[in-house]
Amino acid sequence: MNDLIVFENVSKFYGEVLGVNRVSLTIPPGITTLVGPNGSGKTTLMNLLTGLVQPSSGSISVMGLSSRDANKFFATVGYCTQFDFFPRDITGWQFLVDSLMLYGMSKLTAIQLAEESLQRVQLDKTAAWRKIDGYSKGMRQKIRLAQAIAHRPRVLVLDEPLNGLDPMARAEAMALFEALGRQGIHLIISSHVLDEVDRIADRVVLITGGYLIAEGNIHQVRQEVREKPMQVLVRCDRPEALASKMFAMNHCVEARLHPDGKGIFLRTGDVDQFYSILNEIATEGIVKIEAVAPADDDANAIYQYLIGSEGGTL
Amino acid sequence: MSIYKHHYRVYTGRVTPIWTRIFALARYGLAEAWSTKITTVLFVICLIPPVGSLFTIYLSNNPAARLLMGNVGTRVLAIDGSFFLRVLTIQSWLAMALASWIAPRLITLDLVDNALPILLSHSISRFGYVLGKYAALFATLSTVTWVPCLLLFAYQGYASPVPWAASNLRIGVGMLAGALIWIALISLLGLALSSWVKWRAVATGIIFAVILVPAGVGAIVTGVLHTKWGFLLNVPVMMSFLWERLLGVHSRIDNALQLPTRAIVTMLALACCLSMVMLNTRIRAREVVRG
Repeated sequence: MNDLIVFENVSKFYGEVLGVNRVSLTIPPGITTLVGPNGSGKTTLMNLLTGLVQPSSGSISVMGLSSRDANKFFATVGYCTQFDFFPRDITGWQFLVDSLMLYGMSKLTAIQLAEESLQRVQLDKTAAWRKIDGYSKGMRQKIRLAQAIAHRPRVLVLDEPLNGLDPMARAEAMALFEALGRQGIHLIISSHVLDEVDRIADRVVLITGGYLIAEGNIHQVRQEVREKPMQVLVRCDRPEALASKMFAMNHCVEARLHPDGKGIFLRTGDVDQFYSILNEIATEGIVKIEAVAPADDDANAIYQYLIGSEGGTL
Repeated sequence: MSIYKHHYRVYTGRVTPIWTRIFALARYGLAEAWSTKITTVLFVICLIPPVGSLFTIYLSNNPAARLLMGNVGTRVLAIDGSFFLRVLTIQSWLAMALASWIAPRLITLDLVDNALPILLSHSISRFGYVLGKYAALFATLSTVTWVPCLLLFAYQGYASPVPWAASNLRIGVGMLAGALIWIALISLLGLALSSWVKWRAVATGIIFAVILVPAGVGAIVTGVLHTKWGFLLNVPVMMSFLWERLLGVHSRIDNALQLPTRAIVTMLALACCLSMVMLNTRIRAREVVRG
């Protein structure tokens, strides 16, 4: 058993509708963010990865396993769908234990793993003994997450796992994802809350219209699109002066004052020369520069660069 | 540089055989089916005729009680194949009503809630999923069909002053077989039709319609064309023929209009196959919303 998820030239068509087309992808352990607008093929990719649908062509291997070997495959993969489904009239605890028994655990093992899983998602046992129908949205999300990780999978696929969580619960979930990623699990997350997920992601997969458009470390992907203008935030005492100086050098294509007036967003087509000139300006002492930081070095911005306005909203 | 210790432990313990996992789904199914009071009310209604039949058997085998009731004639209270055929027929149609209420609860809710991706991401196949739901429906319908029928048969065997059960074993076996065939048919049909309809109430209506509308068409065909083959669309008549033959009861319908057993079995098998095709088409883990 290797530790890679490999898509080889995978296509999936639903009749004449394209799901994904000729996707070749290798995902090592760690946290991977799946980014794309609605209808881009993210969920199809996740369904293929979790063995829920079979590819029309190509092959998928998850840690060397095929979904045809159902018993081993499904024990390796944990899936938390975006849908808020629970059987009616059942407690969170029953849901967890039954789910584990569907994975083939004995009742005793299922109870132990369910307790461990509840601790991980920080849902107390009293709440777990209540009927899910009375749960808040955040608690429902937690119990779904607990169900996905309870059987200790090596690959965890989470479709919109932060939906419905309050800021505190969201921070807890992020910490849990980060911890799982550090422990060597494959964590594949699709989320619209990109700014939060980006902070913990090791790599990003960008998809639109069923086609893979970029993959890799977020910063590496950003490097690959250097010809696109990049936005940099410069914190300084005289932003207007800095802007006029930068425009005079002919590298900037756009400048926008920070709302607090103590900084400026500059968009440049040549980031290397931009930093070189910025150093010169700082040395000359015309402007007192306090901080410089990329303002769009995240998956969302990269995505917008790559697909422009055609990709729809994220 | 951060160095992380990879100490995540995957589960490597023993797992149960795949077939045993169906029981977890059957339990889900039963929980869904019995989560409404209407199911309980229907179930109680289904048990009223067997209680009446039990009283009839008691009266039939107890001359003193018959005397107290105004000396009801023994012909009225004859406990024979015809009596058990009536019991089986009544219970079967009550089971049909129960199935048309429960089957949509088992399938429609899962499809509407997009539950299949999460359920099928476990080590359970689509066939296993349907089997789990089928088991829940089968178990519930059994409690109102062959179980009470056989209990009544056993009671008659016990209460009869003369040895009765051994010489009428065909009635018992026939009731069991007849009820199992009926449950198998209506369970499959109920699940299949429920998988194609989004609203539970509509699904309940459609299950009845699929049985009764073709029966009406079949009766018209039989009446207009003077042919017995119109009965092939008439599930109630086909089942009556089958139950009569299984219990060894003489039919009241003219022999010329009787359908061959082979034709009845073929039609019922076709209905089951069609139901399985419908389930195979609809029970998929594909999520409706793409994103």
